[in-house]
Amino acid sequence: MAGAAEYRKSVETAIANPKLSKALHLFGDAYLIARENAFRGLDFEAMRSELAEIKDEVRVRRRELMAEFIKNAEAAGSKVFLARDVKEANDYVIALAKEKGARLIAKSKSMVSEEAHLNRALAEHGIRAAETDLGEWIVQLAGQRPSHMVMPAIHMFKEEVAELFSKEAGKTLAPEIKALVNHARERLRREYFAADIGLTGANFLVAETGGIGLVTNEGNARLCATLPKVHVVFAGIHKLVRSIEDAIKITMLLPRNATGQLLTSYVTWIRGAIPTAGVEKEQHIVLIDGGREALYESSACRDALRCIQCGACANVCPVYQTVGGHVFGSIYISAIGIILTAFYEGLDKAREITRACIGCRSCVTVCPAKIDLEEIILHLRNEVTREYGMGIIKNVAFKAVMKNRGLFHSMVRTAAKLQGAITHRHRQEAERRVIRHLPLHFMAKDLTEWRDLPAIAPRSFRDTFATIQQKVGKPIYRVGFFVGCGADFVYPEVGVSLIKVLNALGVEVVFPKNQNCCGIPALYSGDSETGIYLAQQSVAAFSEAEIDYVLAICPTCTMAVKRDFVDRLADQPQWSAKAVALAAKTMDASAFLENVLGASAKLPAGAQAGAVTYHDSCHLKRGSNVWKEPRALLGSAGYQLTEMKNSDRCCGFGGTYSFLSHPQIARQITTDKVVTIQSTGAKTVATDCPGCMIMLKGAVGKADESIRCVHTMELLAESLENRRE
Amino acid sequence: MSKNHLQQFIDSAGRVGAEVRQMADLQEAVAYISEKAGGTTLVPATSLTARHDLHNLLRAAGIAVFADDFRQAGHFVAAGVTFANFCLADSGTVVLESTAEAIRLATTLPEKHFILIDPASILADNLAAAGPLRALHSSGEAKFIAYITGPSRTADIERVLTIGCHGPREVHLLLVSGIAHDIMEN
Repeated sequence: MAGAAEYRKSVETAIANPKLSKALHLFGDAYLIARENAFRGLDFEAMRSELAEIKDEVRVRRRELMAEFIKNAEAAGSKVFLARDVKEANDYVIALAKEKGARLIAKSKSMVSEEAHLNRALAEHGIRAAETDLGEWIVQLAGQRPSHMVMPAIHMFKEEVAELFSKEAGKTLAPEIKALVNHARERLRREYFAADIGLTGANFLVAETGGIGLVTNEGNARLCATLPKVHVVFAGIHKLVRSIEDAIKITMLLPRNATGQLLTSYVTWIRGAIPTAGVEKEQHIVLIDGGREALYESSACRDALRCIQCGACANVCPVYQTVGGHVFGSIYISAIGIILTAFYEGLDKAREITRACIGCRSCVTVCPAKIDLEEIILHLRNEVTREYGMGIIKNVAFKAVMKNRGLFHSMVRTAAKLQGAITHRHRQEAERRVIRHLPLHFMAKDLTEWRDLPAIAPRSFRDTFATIQQKVGKPIYRVGFFVGCGADFVYPEVGVSLIKVLNALGVEVVFPKNQNCCGIPALYSGDSETGIYLAQQSVAAFSEAEIDYVLAICPTCTMAVKRDFVDRLADQPQWSAKAVALAAKTMDASAFLENVLGASAKLPAGAQAGAVTYHDSCHLKRGSNVWKEPRALLGSAGYQLTEMKNSDRCCGFGGTYSFLSHPQIARQITTDKVVTIQSTGAKTVATDCPGCMIMLKGAVGKADESIRCVHTMELLAESLENRRE
Repeated sequence: MSKNHLQQFIDSAGRVGAEVRQMADLQEAVAYISEKAGGTTLVPATSLTARHDLHNLLRAAGIAVFADDFRQAGHFVAAGVTFANFCLADSGTVVLESTAEAIRLATTLPEKHFILIDPASILADNLAAAGPLRALHSSGEAKFIAYITGPSRTADIERVLTIGCHGPREVHLLLVSGIAHDIMEN
């Protein structure tokens, strides 16, 4: 399959060029600060909820509102054309250009014209398109496509820009940014004056006025709309809003979220054919469907059309920061790009990038239109799997083995015995229980060259539980423990620690034996059938137990129980109520300890226990909004917290992502995390997720053996023991 | 307009790189412009320029006010002078009804843009602009309304903020009390 091979190669090429990744990281860090400043004093959550509501209402009323827009635009002299697809849109512009005898079109930034490959279509008819947005011009000169929606040439360096400009100008220009911008200013001014047609995009179409809005910084859109005698507006139909107020609300979110500006240098409201000296101005508005109606009709994916194209989902994405938009995207890039590619270019085109999302939910947190990008991507991954399969390894692992709990668990026991040859047999303590090398040399690059793999524990938690004596006189609560595979088979000591801590606070732990994997590995691989089956097994196991709460020490399991079990079983009446009831009493152990038991105040203050740095797991912080709790608990236990930079940036694990689908990208993300951990100087890194532990123990262990990686529950249990001594 | 809006406007506009000056009267503003204009200056004829006889005031101060069709002034012009309709304090934005082509050329082509603002026209924030924007659209005719927030900028090369990409490199906001009475005109 050529597509997949080509894609793999592009990933490798991107990773071999750390210069780009470094620049994107610097940008990402600066972006977060600028964005925070821009939203100071404003309620981002309220603003984005409002925008989501606006966009949802527009979706429902779109036909009526579009008719209103067209009526008002035409009344002000605009000609409006509805294009079913990008070809119709291109053909309209070509016919218009021919009618006007136009040879040159000066363009300001329009992503939908990229989607339409308009420049290429124009060139085939002898019409030159001059991109005037600086980034777009650079990309055009390089014969490339934008690698970011807001900053098209973010992947290029000034030396490359100087080379492109020099070649075009026929003289040598120095790689000095100010001079290069100045050159573009002077050079492109000619184009506006010479152009027969000026083409702009639109950030919004206002039904109430029939006008369009442009949100820009450089000033080229104003020139494109002013100097040529004909103004063409190229816009997707989803840019429609009801009113001036709606549009203002977009302008309050878009620049803040895109670049950390309170407002861009220019916001331009244009209605109708504005006068041009000496001649009658024409304005043509080309409204493009191009797959948007189909997306509106998809109940699982349609929220994606709330997008206002701020690019924030890329700015915070660890995968984007590692490989850039030319790998992680098509016309549209990063998280939103995956979805739009599937609908505008076809599922096949989105096949590889659908799997490239690591599932960290960073994008979901910053999206100004409250789009649950991760959930939509998971849905599409499911579609990709249904259409193209998920590969033989996952097929056997999920469908043949994991669904059969008895087989799955006995296979794990056998594997625990067989792995002796490759782990450190002479090191007994749990912390050295790792696989340092694999016998299959060809796998080493992806799997053990840069991290130790966790070995399977000699005895799983489920086999250990019966041997634990719980000393709780009159329990204040009985809690069910959802152990999850990581703590069951790799780190059973975390579960043992949890029991110690809970017992000390008067809580008894119940372990329903028939519980199985939460199903996320299958679900994230697009195998929803296995996911549903696994959900039923665990719902049944916990529904039978008499318990007040269900606790997990893996935030991915918590998310699975709270969100995915409910979704997966929603249409099955014999299961849905039980799933909802289970979800309502499930939470992460840290959240339970702090929010239900008030543990940090109840437990006796711990002695000085040393410096710890804390890694926020993606699904704990962004899945359950739990991040203060483990810090409070660790502090009360006597640990001094030294915060690492970007503590909530993904560790690179992503489950099967780091083992099967994208080990090379995962490796790079992990390397970044290890550096930030090391630079705190702390010798202990705590986290609340066995998945993160697999990644961090493995990579930190390879980089610096003196740094210890543990679950918060282990540190709490240790502190309790120290107090007893 | 409260005093707070004025101060917030001055602060916000300053932060995005606009030069903000409070002037005692129009004469002082004209003197400021004449010191900085640096060459051919586009001054679109509007109701406010006529009321204040701005063309003659500027010429009298030695400014090279361009008399012909602005398209004939060349691709690069030294300066443009306009009034504002109203301003937005929270973002430091000037709103300028620009349907007449002369206003658009005078605010896009020059190196420096001088904007005369009556402080009474400063609105609290972006949401407060909805009413005036609706009023400007009430006729149903073609309309071009420009928000200008600081000078033209780009960060398209290596994400380095660079001023003066395609629009004016300098924006001078000259606050003069009592020069306008209706935010619908400029």
